[in-house]
Amino acid sequence: MRTYVASAGLLGIVLTLVGPIVGGGPRTRSPVPTSILEAGPPELADVVGTYCVRCHNERRMTGNLDLAGFDPARAHESAAVAEKMIVKLRAGMMPPPGARRPAADTLRTLVETMEAVIDEAAATDPEPGVRRFQRLNRAEYERVIRELLGLEVDAGRWLPADTYLGNFDNLSAAQGLSPTLLEAYLRAATEISRIAVGEPGAVTKSVKYTNPIEVSQHAWDHLEGTPYGTRGGMVVTHDFPADGSYVFSFETLFGQGTGFEDLDLSVDGDGVARLQLEHNGDRNVEIRTEPIFVRAGQRSVAAAFVRKIEGPYEDRLSPFGWSFVGGEDAQQWADYGITALPHLADLMVTGPIEPLGVSASTSRRKIFSCYPETSAEERTCAEEIVADLATRAYRRHVGEEDVAGPMRFYEQGYADGGFEVGIRTALQAILASPSFVFRLEQLPPDVEEGERFRIADADLASRLSFFLWGMGPDEELRTIAAAGKLSDDDALERQVRRMLADPRSEALATRFASQWLRLQDVKKNQPELWLYPDFSGQLGDDMVRETQLLFDHLVREDASVLELFTADYTFVNERLAAHYGFTGVTGSEFRRVSYPDETRRGVLGHGSVLLLTSMSARTSPVLRGKWVMEVLMGAPPPPPPPNVPNFEETASASEGRRLTTRERMELHRANPTCNACHRLMDPIGLALDNFDVVGRWRVREDGMPLDTRGTFYDGTELTTPADLNGVLLERPISLTRNFAANLLAYAIGRRVEYYDQPAVRAIVRDAAEDDYRMSAFVLGVVRSDAFRMMRARTTAQEPDADPLESLVPRSEER
Amino acid sequence: MNFLTGKHISRRSFVRGMGTTVALPFLDAMVPAGRSWHDPTRERRFTRLLCIEESMGCAGGSEWGDARNLFAPAGVGRDFELGVDSQLRPLEAYREYLTIVSNTDCRMAEPYRAEEIGGDHDRSTAVFLTQAHPKQTQGSDIFLGTSLDQLHARRFGAGTALPSLEMCIEGIDRGGGCAYNYHCAYTTSLAWASPTQPLPAIREPRAVFERLFGAGDTEADRAARRRTNSSVLDWIVEEVGRLQASLGAVDRTAMDEYLTYVRELERRIQLVEERNSSGREREMPEAPSGIPDSFEEHMQLMFDLQVLAFQTDMTRVISFKTGFDQSNRTFPDSGTTKSIHGASHHGNVPADIMDFNRINTYRTGQLAYLLERMKSTMDGDGSLLDKTAIVWGSPMGDPNLHNHRRCPLLLLGKANGALEGNLHIRAPKGTPMANAFVSLMQGIGHDMKSFGDSTGTLALSYPRGGFSTTGSGA
Repeated sequence: MRTYVASAGLLGIVLTLVGPIVGGGPRTRSPVPTSILEAGPPELADVVGTYCVRCHNERRMTGNLDLAGFDPARAHESAAVAEKMIVKLRAGMMPPPGARRPAADTLRTLVETMEAVIDEAAATDPEPGVRRFQRLNRAEYERVIRELLGLEVDAGRWLPADTYLGNFDNLSAAQGLSPTLLEAYLRAATEISRIAVGEPGAVTKSVKYTNPIEVSQHAWDHLEGTPYGTRGGMVVTHDFPADGSYVFSFETLFGQGTGFEDLDLSVDGDGVARLQLEHNGDRNVEIRTEPIFVRAGQRSVAAAFVRKIEGPYEDRLSPFGWSFVGGEDAQQWADYGITALPHLADLMVTGPIEPLGVSASTSRRKIFSCYPETSAEERTCAEEIVADLATRAYRRHVGEEDVAGPMRFYEQGYADGGFEVGIRTALQAILASPSFVFRLEQLPPDVEEGERFRIADADLASRLSFFLWGMGPDEELRTIAAAGKLSDDDALERQVRRMLADPRSEALATRFASQWLRLQDVKKNQPELWLYPDFSGQLGDDMVRETQLLFDHLVREDASVLELFTADYTFVNERLAAHYGFTGVTGSEFRRVSYPDETRRGVLGHGSVLLLTSMSARTSPVLRGKWVMEVLMGAPPPPPPPNVPNFEETASASEGRRLTTRERMELHRANPTCNACHRLMDPIGLALDNFDVVGRWRVREDGMPLDTRGTFYDGTELTTPADLNGVLLERPISLTRNFAANLLAYAIGRRVEYYDQPAVRAIVRDAAEDDYRMSAFVLGVVRSDAFRMMRARTTAQEPDADPLESLVPRSEER
Repeated sequence: MNFLTGKHISRRSFVRGMGTTVALPFLDAMVPAGRSWHDPTRERRFTRLLCIEESMGCAGGSEWGDARNLFAPAGVGRDFELGVDSQLRPLEAYREYLTIVSNTDCRMAEPYRAEEIGGDHDRSTAVFLTQAHPKQTQGSDIFLGTSLDQLHARRFGAGTALPSLEMCIEGIDRGGGCAYNYHCAYTTSLAWASPTQPLPAIREPRAVFERLFGAGDTEADRAARRRTNSSVLDWIVEEVGRLQASLGAVDRTAMDEYLTYVRELERRIQLVEERNSSGREREMPEAPSGIPDSFEEHMQLMFDLQVLAFQTDMTRVISFKTGFDQSNRTFPDSGTTKSIHGASHHGNVPADIMDFNRINTYRTGQLAYLLERMKSTMDGDGSLLDKTAIVWGSPMGDPNLHNHRRCPLLLLGKANGALEGNLHIRAPKGTPMANAFVSLMQGIGHDMKSFGDSTGTLALSYPRGGFSTTGSGA
């Protein structure tokens, strides 16, 4: 009843501020709590009438909203609308700048009253929501296979790309089923079972790996995973199907007339060959090793050039940018002599030549928990292996039938090729099973339609581990769930804390935070190489890593979520440090460093965020402002009106001179239609304009001094990133509720709807009392009804579908 | 046949790669001339259908661009010229296979309610092959229509291993998902098996290949995999039956849906088995690897696979999405380094319209490779191009305005005689694109009266006595 107490407390404030009673009126859906009715302040309806309805009326429909007759005291009756209002009011965006505003106290009372009314109404019958089961998406599939079999796989080889919904790739409403998907799971199961067990009778075949364009081969650039003292090259994870000899061959690009180069080859870090190549003006040179003996299993193969140049090197172009790959143009770069040294283009592994069986490998150790010494032991051992694999793969306790099914495949495989093929076939069946690929959740017996119910402990364990680790539960969590102890609040909290402390909770940074902050878009912006010649794919990766490491650090230290905005430190390696202009960092390892000055604080000073909110050739205060409003505050600006060209895409020059960003902004501010929203977004982005496209500090743009002054929508003057952080942190409720809502959506695999907002507020209220610690948010999510409960329904439609939706015209109705 | 010919084709560029590949034998050597993989005695008359979406309209969609005939030529009927600036200029050599349909609208992509205003990029793709209006939602209650390709697959695809094949070129992991309260399925799926069932498209050439031919090092290996998969599928049916008892209603419905796909896959495996037991020897081409960084290479690889899929009669219906709305991809070989979305907002500045036209021309030019491959691939008594209908078009007209009027549409190939080619049809103002689709579908064997928002038909052949005047065509 914590929620209730909290809202009662708020009501106290409401009562003293606005005074007494107003009459009842018709009740439509949920029962109106009497305490609220008694407190119902007449003035608040007037406030809405006076300040909101001027734009939000039937005629103007600003923001598609008509608030005429809206009574905040009965906000729970139109909670979907009220929740939209609450977001804008909490962010301080409404009434908009320039419009008449009531006193700050009145606005606060308005929003607090609506929250209290809705929360109290919701407390009587909280809506846990309903959704279809989730399935393993690409990212989860890879993690699950890594945990189950110790293999690195690229799920994109089989599974169709995941459809994003909201910010995330794991929402069940976007996880449609199709024959394509089913077949993909089957193919993955077939292939992975072979890789995992190994193929003693493997035929000789060639596998070619092509170097991605963005891997810099520059004279000084070391590639992670290659030996020290080398430059460029490539690193691949290769599945060696059997013990035997393998030939490695390479093709290089460019480097005409550069003389001799030494190419170093290593397998799992052990040097196995060094080859010399000489360019005699040939464009493409192929070199190969003698057959080299390698044992079966998944191994890292690294090839790189021995670094010969320590001093300055005239090679201004990092091999990055689409122009490099587009047909004939690509060669021109080499012809111009800009990139002179040879690039490693691809690597081919051919083998096994004369396979000699399969010896121990990581994946085999994960599979063969026993190994029969006589044929009499084979079946017993197979049953042990199958039971163990099925338990781990199905994320639950397995019964006899769960073992009997895959054992039939063992028999089938055994008949074809003995014990090993039997195990492989059983594994293939397990990986294809609906219990593995789907995250099915049980409906307890005797639950009636429309009833709320607690999900089973095993399912709760699974939700928990996919939330925190991006994979299924480990043995401890499975055991506790199987014993029925996870329903206990203390036991649940202990597990959450244990799992947060486990390194696998890095998934919160690499999966959750990366998607929430949209870090996948970093790689989509290719900075123009003539403007940013030092940019490389490795640097882009480093930027993403920096942000992930900060978030991961906050999880590990159980620090405040607000430290995302205030951190006076960051995580860099030598390359990123040099890019930012920090000194004293050497090597490719990331480490924590304190910022040398006050220009950067938190994620708004991260190259990742600054790059993903830029255009390829210039910064975009609009995109940056929009990103802050949408991603950090959860209050996206309204869409541009129809038939107005997207400002960001339009011309940027006048009379032969490039306009500065500021000049372009002033231009479109002259248009009142544009100005209505851009006055919100632009000052936010301008305050960050001292950071260029790739996140370096600058004071001039195109030779003109930068003018980053602007006015935040609440009237505060903004000039610097620090000013921006300041105004954001004045609204911790916006930041933290938005964070909690995103965390909740990711955790429960469905969009957070208006009826989830009471839960979101409860999470944030509790977290506030615990200094907004990461664990407080995580625990709040885990303890929420949405996470632990479901409602039995026959359809996955939202409980309160928008009545307007039936009006959508369809072709046949036209 | 780029990926099948040898190693040096792509050496001049780096190609992203994670998958496996080997030196590839030459397909035509494996499928002797005049001998196709499908049994001619069982052959029915069918027309293959390939639908290709271009996402963001064209420069010729603007008033200035239209006046310069950047898309629609000035003349109609057989008397049209593809000028130096025409986006269709690269297709001049295939003129006899080219039916230009200009001036049709995709009005189902327009907003119908205030909330829908501005969501043009998020609706477009959904509308192209359905000509239906997507229901605005981000929930599981998506609703659209059945797409053209899927209607064709129902009618002519049932006997093939893959009733239809869906392919795409760009990734779909845009941060934040989709906007304007539209489900991402509307922006990513061209093919809709039913109004509620979007089909995912495959971007990895290797995955397409393995869908067509299965995985495995030898034919014996492939056959063994098929056998195991077949019994795995039987077992999945049992498992689902066992698990369903403890599921909620929503999940049970989804599992029922899943079971229909299991049966579809079983049928597919059986078909391949039957075909393989017919005793004609054949060799498999080897799988391509990775996703090329280069647009051109990726397109050619996908075209190769499409030709292969048709030629082997593994499928008769393909949809192909060559880009995504609002993509910022650049095409330096086009002659401009602007991104496609950036260039599409040309602000009606002539120089900027021409930049966008360069990208349009470059992208349309990719079709030449496909047409050449299909033209040179024999299929019984004609070429594949004679027997195929290719629909190429965009559900957007002028992307600078985000409008859906006067959208570009091409019909390529002879479609077993349903298309005569060498024709420019300028539809009367306000003709729905759906009208052209109805006529096309009637021509390739459908008893179709209406489709989407169609108001009738649009004749796709040269009228006896010619067109009455320029300007108002059919």
